[in-house]
Amino acid sequence: MSPVKRMAGLKKNPTNDKTYWRSLNELAETPGFREFVKNEFPNNAFAMLQGPSRRKFLQLMGASFAFAGLSGCRWPKETIVPYSKRPEHRTPGVPQQYTTVLDQGGVANGLLITSYDGRPIKVEGNPDHPMGTGAADAYTQAAILELYDPDRLKTPLLLEQATEKPVAEKSPVHLEKTWDDFAATLQEIKTLLSEAQGEGFYLLSELASSPSVEALRTQLATSSPKAKWLTYEPLNCDAERQATIAAFGAPHRIQYNLKNASVVVSLDCDFFATHPQSLQLTRDFMDGRSMPEQGMNRLYVAESRYSITGSMADHRLALRSQEIEQLVLHLAAAIAGKAGAALPESYVVVRNALQPFEKPDRHAEWIEALAQDLVDHIGKGAVLAGPGQSVRVHALVLWINEILGNLAQTVNYIPIPPDSLAAQPSVQSIRTLVQDAKEKKIKTLLILGGDPLYTAPADLDLATALAGVSIIHLTPYKNHTSLRSQWVLPRSHFLEAWGDGVAYDGTVSIAQPLIAPLYESRSALELLSMLLDETPRTGYAIVRRDATEADWKKWLYQGFIEAAPVKPVLPPVKPGVIATLVRERENSPIPFSKDRLEVTFQPDAKLYDGRYGNNAWLQELPDPQTKITWDNAALISPQTAAELKIQTGDLIEIRDAQGKALEIVAYVQPGQADYSIALTLGYGQVLPHLSVGNQVGFNTYRLRTSSESSIRTNLTIQPLGKTYPLACTQDHHAIDEVGLAAQRQRLGQIVQEKTLDEYLHPHDDHHGHPPVTLWKEHEYNGHKWGMAIDLNRCNGCNACVVACQAENNIPVVGKQDVMNGREMHWIRIDRYYKGEPEDPTIVHQPMNCSHCENAPCEQVCPVAATVHSSEGLNTMVYNRCVGTRYCSNNCPFKVRRFNFFNYHKNLSETEKMLHNPEVTVRSRGVMEKCTYCVQRIETAKIQAKNEGRSIQDGEVVPACAQTCPTKAITFGDLNDPNSQVAKAHQNHRAYFLLNELNLKARTAYMARIRNLNPRLEKHESGQHA
Amino acid sequence: MNLVNTLEIDNTRNDPTQREALIVGDNNFTTVTEKVCCIPEATTTPKAWYIAFAASVSLTGVLFAMIAYLIFTGIGVWGLNNPVSWGWAIVNFVFWVGIGHAGTLISAILFLFRQKWRTSINRFAEAMTIFAVMCAGIFPAIHIGRAWLAYWLFPYPNQMAMWPNFRSPLLWDVFAVSTYATVSLMFWYVGMIPDLATLRDRAKSKLAFYLYGIFSLGWRGSHRHWHRHEYAYLILAGLATPLVVSVHSVVSFDFAVSQLPGWHTTIFPPYFVAGAIFSGFGMVLTLIIPCRQWFGLKEIITLKHLENMCKVVLVTGSIVGYAYSMEFFIAWYSGNPYEAFAFINRAFGPYAWAYWTMISCNVLIPQFFWFKKIRTSPWIIFVLSIFVNIGMWFERFVIVVTSLHRDFLPSSWGYYSPTLIDILTFVGSFGLFFTLFLLFVRFLPMVAMAEVKTIMPQAHLEAGHHRGVGDYHGEIPHAHEPEDGNSK
Repeated sequence: MSPVKRMAGLKKNPTNDKTYWRSLNELAETPGFREFVKNEFPNNAFAMLQGPSRRKFLQLMGASFAFAGLSGCRWPKETIVPYSKRPEHRTPGVPQQYTTVLDQGGVANGLLITSYDGRPIKVEGNPDHPMGTGAADAYTQAAILELYDPDRLKTPLLLEQATEKPVAEKSPVHLEKTWDDFAATLQEIKTLLSEAQGEGFYLLSELASSPSVEALRTQLATSSPKAKWLTYEPLNCDAERQATIAAFGAPHRIQYNLKNASVVVSLDCDFFATHPQSLQLTRDFMDGRSMPEQGMNRLYVAESRYSITGSMADHRLALRSQEIEQLVLHLAAAIAGKAGAALPESYVVVRNALQPFEKPDRHAEWIEALAQDLVDHIGKGAVLAGPGQSVRVHALVLWINEILGNLAQTVNYIPIPPDSLAAQPSVQSIRTLVQDAKEKKIKTLLILGGDPLYTAPADLDLATALAGVSIIHLTPYKNHTSLRSQWVLPRSHFLEAWGDGVAYDGTVSIAQPLIAPLYESRSALELLSMLLDETPRTGYAIVRRDATEADWKKWLYQGFIEAAPVKPVLPPVKPGVIATLVRERENSPIPFSKDRLEVTFQPDAKLYDGRYGNNAWLQELPDPQTKITWDNAALISPQTAAELKIQTGDLIEIRDAQGKALEIVAYVQPGQADYSIALTLGYGQVLPHLSVGNQVGFNTYRLRTSSESSIRTNLTIQPLGKTYPLACTQDHHAIDEVGLAAQRQRLGQIVQEKTLDEYLHPHDDHHGHPPVTLWKEHEYNGHKWGMAIDLNRCNGCNACVVACQAENNIPVVGKQDVMNGREMHWIRIDRYYKGEPEDPTIVHQPMNCSHCENAPCEQVCPVAATVHSSEGLNTMVYNRCVGTRYCSNNCPFKVRRFNFFNYHKNLSETEKMLHNPEVTVRSRGVMEKCTYCVQRIETAKIQAKNEGRSIQDGEVVPACAQTCPTKAITFGDLNDPNSQVAKAHQNHRAYFLLNELNLKARTAYMARIRNLNPRLEKHESGQHA
Repeated sequence: MNLVNTLEIDNTRNDPTQREALIVGDNNFTTVTEKVCCIPEATTTPKAWYIAFAASVSLTGVLFAMIAYLIFTGIGVWGLNNPVSWGWAIVNFVFWVGIGHAGTLISAILFLFRQKWRTSINRFAEAMTIFAVMCAGIFPAIHIGRAWLAYWLFPYPNQMAMWPNFRSPLLWDVFAVSTYATVSLMFWYVGMIPDLATLRDRAKSKLAFYLYGIFSLGWRGSHRHWHRHEYAYLILAGLATPLVVSVHSVVSFDFAVSQLPGWHTTIFPPYFVAGAIFSGFGMVLTLIIPCRQWFGLKEIITLKHLENMCKVVLVTGSIVGYAYSMEFFIAWYSGNPYEAFAFINRAFGPYAWAYWTMISCNVLIPQFFWFKKIRTSPWIIFVLSIFVNIGMWFERFVIVVTSLHRDFLPSSWGYYSPTLIDILTFVGSFGLFFTLFLLFVRFLPMVAMAEVKTIMPQAHLEAGHHRGVGDYHGEIPHAHEPEDGNSK
């Protein structure tokens, strides 16, 4: 449990810092002070302050003032304004944690936010939440950076009226306005809503799970029945939803429970990364393989792009996404065949329909083995289909799960109200919008969030359709849609506004703000209330409604209202529908060649659908598989690349049958299915006013169409004969044969891996000699901190990297410096390929400082700036470091990071508010590295000492371990024989990296175990010989 | 100044029964003094000197501009990255320290071994040493991340009550290089005192008289002066001799003490010392061949001297070549796969071009010196010596960069390339070197006149035909003419 005191969310607390700034009120009004501030912050800080808003001035400069100080002396002096009355439950400098939720793609995830003196600085998962694991993914970890982003929209903007030239000819100019200026427009809409029953008023929102939004939607539907509310998510679960409608007659959400699953089958489904339930799926799945001695689940993956789920697979099949359908049909036929007489009478019709698919012409062995494995594990299997797959695939998966008896065991269905936003198909919304715009039905379009002009299917040409429509856009950033909008309204960050949401399992959760809005922003709820209510309600009032004080406090404390009942809804699949769907499909292979390629569109592991485009942490995060930062690339299999004469870094042009082309850089990805090109979404945004997300990568939305929004077919590729620099954090440069040979030689030692059979029945029990020593080693009598990283659990998802970045004030260096090899991440995830390039296995290995007892770095530092602590931590004394970088040279893991420049120099005043005050911000010329989160160790020690007890195992949790969705990282005291980490070090799977150097590393790695299907084992071992 | 003298008198015959004269031509004490002193005493400076000096000073300006830019911006202006934390700065440091090796070797070790031919070139080589060490000293100071705290490497009493880490080879470096620089400077200066007195006595201008006068420390040439001087010189030679070995051994410890494959080898100290002598002599040859030509010193710095230096280059080049092959052998013989890879990667990896440049320049090029014809052709020597300089720079580049860029974990491998700032800083260091060197040749006696005179046959007239073993036995021109004033 985190040592900081957890507090019930008090509504007073988040606004407390306002009183703090308010003490500068009078001073700030004087012209002398304004002049002074102007001189104090010559760089563009003052540009933000144009306009007469006193409040804005206070918010921004209050922060600047307090942080940058009053004096022109060498060290900025800070004026500390004490509370005249200390608020209840508040000790300055002692962090507090509040619960909230973040809604992404219509699913709310429970979070726990750490706040220092009114500044939220760290996001973690809410372990008490019914869907919570205590983990948070990389997106969520990084969401906090957006709060302090100086590029955020700060005031309402109004499109400048075209005076001389029409708007189309010159780039649109927006003028800064206030919400008061917006009142007139608001009144017009209100009139429209009341007088014309809302005819001509359209509302396009992102998919939101919020019950309050639904309530307001109902309110709108009642008061203005002719107004239309559409919802659009570029990445959606439409196929799954359609399949449940077809199969059950009503929309359902599929909830998997992998805790009990022995055989898991993923069909193009990256359920570790981009599935809305991914955190729970990951944790449950990994729990099924942490103790191989006691049995282990088995994962089959068939996919086109090598996902992180694929990298954990025991058996992976690289298949083009279009061929998955064929595979599912064969699989269903095989299972139906094996079920034989056990198959319910009603499903015989399906089996008959599946008859043509009984004899697969490809991968027959694989399908047979998988089907047998599933049939052998009735009620203990789970089949998952990816969001990009067709309705047919999803429907068949529903049927397969049903006949395998998985319902209520590993698969549950949660009904979705058919009229809710979540049930609306996304692409259909854009179609309706375009259609109605063309028919001139739209008078006013209110867009809540998102960037539909950027993300809408390219063939529908939403931008042209909306050309004459007056758009009001509520958005955190001025984006492509905003540029065409009449009014652009700043949207509050989720940490600034009240809200609510529904978790994947249906648990209603509350989102509470941790800070008053930094700018003149409103939440979607507040804006809707302004439109719909006579007197606008506050977000607080909307969310709380009539909850009693006791309930409300409890909800805020736990972060949710009530856990959704685990009452499985088990509608039977309609056999006729499945049979029809099967019969509609012929058993014929789809032809592929280098002139008939398929392209798949995938959520990006960093930018999702593009919404995190201006988030520098995510932009600089290496992609889990390609390790590309600051870019997206077209992933091509080695064989296809060879056929097309393409290499990594070549610019290519992907062209569809209509001649629409996309220019993008190619990346040759081992394990990618042949003739299948994987593209990720979210890049190539052209927003010159953004300092991070402008013109990064290539806009793949341009190829995405309404009918083929996940998989496009029949495309060709043309190399353009130019190259493009890619910033990868691993294999910065192509590795030559000499290097590859060495990699192959070393890999077995670096990432140790065994099959379950080899592990349980070892041929030789030779573990090598422990390092010998000539002298008496140092004894650690108190604590002896250590870490264990389980490679059998780590899937390389990157959450730890961002968590570490947030916790330890790690700077972002930019694309150029990543290309120079200067990324600063304290923990990196090494990705290695094993086997042949056509069908490799991928392993991920998190690397951070191992805190070697015989640390090579310590011996060579001439100024003793890196030394050992009495608890065995290899500490960095930043103040003492002069930056010889000798330690880095001598570090065999190369985990030390050097501040080549002052990477904190250009941070805005708001971004500085994000810094964790417990961790030094490092200056230029200083070496830094993982500290095992020494600040958390010290906090726990102080707390334990104050309470007169010893530290319990699990009390000290570094940021990486805390957020790890797979729980791969264990940390604790090695001197405590009962601690998790001590046990992990004693485990048979534990090994130490480069042990032969006598480093005595404190981080142990636990070997990866692959649970091969004996029927496929020969096939596998033949492949990897 | 008599700049052109095309006639070379050959004193390189190897006749075991008779030594060749080390100072050739029609020279006696007077003419030697005259020939050496006329250079600093010249009233008009040649235009070529001004051009060279202007170029050098400009480059020095570039050096300091680059340093200022570096210190105000950060180490990131160089091409360094995560696996390759040391790059050109350290390469340049070792390169310059290596060059600085020849001087002390010539002045101290050859002095103790009574190698008389050293006298013509020792002043020159020592000056080169000092300037090279000055250039070298800049790099470790500026390569650290916070250059303004470089003094923390020294063990000085401080409020932090901190000692530096005595286990770190970088600290040993501080001591080794600073000691070496101090002793080299002392040696150079002490040896120069009698010659400075000569210049003082011949001074025509007041300024020259006072300046040379101050630095000649009141030298009057008395027997007591000579006695003290020669003892001091001997003691300094004794002190400097171990330093010749120690300084580059310690520099090599920077690498050998670490555990990086390619650095962690016991062969490094002797290999580095040999390499340093090799590069030092290479640089002396590069500098001395044009100087003896332009300043008319061919009779003092003769073909014999050049040939001897070529032989040293040949021997040390071969030692270096042996070390290269031995590294490979040990990499294989040790059975350490990381070590083996480090060397295969050097020869066939991404930096193979640097490795083969090094092998060509350091091992193959010196083999030309097996031929006497080449050893006695100054301009061919000059060209070959430049290859030696290039090769020795590449040797350090190969050691530093190829070992770092691919170490243990393939995930952290990288590639290093210098930036323009790296290149200009290195070029600028040559500017500083040549600025100092041009000042030296213009204002100080380039040849140790007093010492040269001791090995001239005229100094041994009293021995008649039984001059010492190894002395010149031939005719002595102008044997009975009177000497000039103060100098010996």
